[in-house]
Amino acid sequence: MGSQWLILACIFVPLLGSFLLPVLGRINTNARNLASLLFVLVSLVCAVLALHPAMTGQPLRVWLELPQGLSLGFLGDGMAILAAMAFSLTAAVIIFYSFGYIERFENLNEYYFMVTLFMGAVMGAVFSTNLILTYAFWEITSICCWRLLGFDRSEKSIRLAGKALLVNVCGSLLMLAGFISVYMNMGTFNLLDMQGRGVDNWLMALMLCGILAKAAVLPLHSWLPASSDAPAPVSALIGGAVMVNLGVYIYARLFLAGFQLEPVWTVVTPAIAAVSALISAGAAMRETDIRRIMAYSAVCQTSFILMGVSCGTMIGAAGGLISILMNALACGGLFLCAGTVERSTGVRDINELGGLAKNMPLTALSFGLCALSVMGLPPFGGFFAKYMLIAGAVQSGHIWLALLFAAAALMTVIYLLRVFTRVFFGPLINHEATERSWEMVVSMLILGGLTLLTGLFINVPSDIAVYVAESLGRW
Amino acid sequence: MSASLASLMYAFIGLPLLAVAGLNLAGRRLTRRICRPLGVFVGLAQMAVAVISQLLLLQYHKSSVSFSQFWDMTVSDSAAYLRVDAFSLVALFCIGMAVAAAFSFKWFDSEHNAFNFTNMALLLMLGLNGAALVTDLFSLYVFIEIAGLCSYTLTALYREERGLEGGFKQLILGALASVLILIGLAFIFMECGSLRYDALALFFSEELPLPILDYLAFLFLIGGFGIKAGLVPFHQWLPDVYESAPAPVSILLSGIATQMMGTYALIRIMSELKGGAADPVADAILLLLGLITIFVGALAALAQKDMKRCLAYSSISQIGYIVLGVSCGNAFGFIGAMLHFFTLTLGNTVLFTDAAAVDLATNTTDMERLGGLQKQMPLVGVTNLIAFLSNAGLPPAVGFWSKLLIIIAVWQSGNGFIAGLALVAGVLTVACCLKVQRKVFFGPDVEELSGVSAPRGGVVVSSLTLSGLIVVAGLLIPFLLRMLQAQGLF
Repeated sequence: MGSQWLILACIFVPLLGSFLLPVLGRINTNARNLASLLFVLVSLVCAVLALHPAMTGQPLRVWLELPQGLSLGFLGDGMAILAAMAFSLTAAVIIFYSFGYIERFENLNEYYFMVTLFMGAVMGAVFSTNLILTYAFWEITSICCWRLLGFDRSEKSIRLAGKALLVNVCGSLLMLAGFISVYMNMGTFNLLDMQGRGVDNWLMALMLCGILAKAAVLPLHSWLPASSDAPAPVSALIGGAVMVNLGVYIYARLFLAGFQLEPVWTVVTPAIAAVSALISAGAAMRETDIRRIMAYSAVCQTSFILMGVSCGTMIGAAGGLISILMNALACGGLFLCAGTVERSTGVRDINELGGLAKNMPLTALSFGLCALSVMGLPPFGGFFAKYMLIAGAVQSGHIWLALLFAAAALMTVIYLLRVFTRVFFGPLINHEATERSWEMVVSMLILGGLTLLTGLFINVPSDIAVYVAESLGRW
Repeated sequence: MSASLASLMYAFIGLPLLAVAGLNLAGRRLTRRICRPLGVFVGLAQMAVAVISQLLLLQYHKSSVSFSQFWDMTVSDSAAYLRVDAFSLVALFCIGMAVAAAFSFKWFDSEHNAFNFTNMALLLMLGLNGAALVTDLFSLYVFIEIAGLCSYTLTALYREERGLEGGFKQLILGALASVLILIGLAFIFMECGSLRYDALALFFSEELPLPILDYLAFLFLIGGFGIKAGLVPFHQWLPDVYESAPAPVSILLSGIATQMMGTYALIRIMSELKGGAADPVADAILLLLGLITIFVGALAALAQKDMKRCLAYSSISQIGYIVLGVSCGNAFGFIGAMLHFFTLTLGNTVLFTDAAAVDLATNTTDMERLGGLQKQMPLVGVTNLIAFLSNAGLPPAVGFWSKLLIIIAVWQSGNGFIAGLALVAGVLTVACCLKVQRKVFFGPDVEELSGVSAPRGGVVVSSLTLSGLIVVAGLLIPFLLRMLQAQGLF
């Protein structure tokens, strides 16, 4: 095949390239910013190029044989490519947004370094087929997340960043304990050798801890709303678009493409997700801080995806995979819009905001597009994702699950409409507010536009997702 | 061919010995200016010889080389001779590394102190090298005593109150440890009639069940080496000493001396004896001590206000992992313990070098008075982070692999729950790392420190090089494991 380098480039260009950025930053800050964007775009392009082999049943594969079942490898199958495209696309837009947003902060070398390293590690975790390697990349994302959340160096944000890291490390160490005992049972860390083999329930519980912590699903969600004080691109990257979705993706990777679970987990995990969705939607309805609302909204939407991939039906799994893409785009967009509103007005309380549609029409437009997609209205991408998720829940035979999620979806509509009308309509309160730099506006519009485009051309992502879900062959 | 290899081994004794002799014979006036370069050179040279020897061993497909100038190894049963294998080479490499790091920056104001430090440090190195090379328990004890005496003197080098107090504490507990070890050795000698590793391995493989005296001997040995290694509940001396000793001395002690005198000896004894019988009682005691040490060390570290004390407690916690690995008695356990030994030397050396850099720049290691130093000294902050995360066992640093192997070993020996506990205890070390980072480097700026200038020269070079080694070694561990497998270690 000869094109395995695509996978390697996808991971290692951002991962290793990030180390150049602090050096570049000393010479020329623009070069550093563009290089950061370029590295992530390389990931995106490579992922797109690797799509064709994956869809024709010959996924790209890189392999290093080692003794004692420690063999390392990367596999670019459909599921990985879909997630890689979603993550790198959103991250590229977010980095572009930060060109306009982040200028006033200090330590920018560190910011771009960490963001790019973070994306490299995310790509590594997405493609890895070795549990140890997955864990290693996963932990690197946690460390980057700590550094990013605390990068404005205030007492409060350092404390919250530390909290996020501790929750994540605690979860991932439990997950590692699960991985090690899997190794003890099966004698290998290779995921491909584990396909269709069963695991004990308590091991599953251990691994689920790590995933819940990273995906910020209840009861391990508390670090995410607390992180909403970080700069907008950071919380978009971590809370909205990439890190939480990575958690759900790893669930799919481990338990859809890997182990065979006991049937009870197709009820337990969706039930956890349902409780998480309902509570976080409720919190989003009560909250008045726009950034925190977005954070709770992210918890809620991630729970939706987790429900889809865990409910044990083909349509649900396909819906979950599409939702990763849709959620990355739409939630990322909402975080960016919320950040723009905060930057323009200096206010985060939605009761002190109003009528911004007059001053900031483009922000209002992108917020509207993303919000409609998250609500799940046709013809936006989010509609198809939500439809498949709930259809999956119905198909799994647990109508009550579908009803709970329908309720959470309804609450999503309510809290997003509440924010939208409060902030953008009504009498104009914040007279001095204006649109900020063109980079911010363009990137918000790109994300807003993409939520619409992915809905209009839903056949492209849905074909991939359905192909992937069918080829898992366990329905 | 192996003659050339064996003659290379004499460097491990010759280097420090010649350096000390030359330093004193040539006269203080001539040599006091070259103290630091000499120390760095001896350390680096030892690292180089250790690497070359390991490569030669690999090339000749041998697992060890014995050598002796003064005794005929083939004839007498009781003759003492020296030997290197993969583990002693790792230890010798670590010794060279810590010595080079301790000499890498200018710390002592008076030439008198610098000269004394050089002498004692090189003698300490000689004692540690000897301990790594010997093949019988009594010689091991003698060399550990040599190293011990040097370390007491080094701690009290300034002859002021705190240093003397620390040195005195160390001396008293060290003497107690010596007595315990000596009694243990006497018991073993009574039973077995020899203290040579190979004779002991043979003896313990034949005698089953073990006589009660041997259990007592194990208890005494564990107690003695436990004190030397700073295992909980014998750990109280260690933070006092690390805190009160001059910075290069705390690098030497934390990086290598405590480890060689305590954990290396434990690993060596247990792995040599494991040729034969498994001893469940000693294993159970070590397992328990290890687990307690991990938790008490890490929790105590979280409560500290002084940077060096915090690092000291956190390194106690790490020593618990080594003991845990030793307690399993299987191949993974020994490889893991050996790797963690390496990790800990690297990590502690970097951490205490960084503490020295902070101390040099700000004249304090009190974390309440420090803050926001990432801006003034970014490299120090980053190396501190890397070393701490390596100690905590986070990828991709080398500490991740060593801890992983230890956990797997504990799991294999049937203690899954304890393995899980030890694994999750990694969170405590991460929390400790976050505390140091938050208070010293990553936090908001502190007014009084705004004029602090970044440390330059040796201190930064050595901590950068070593933390680079942490990451590189972490990335290369799969290959290292392959190499060890080729040598038949597991």
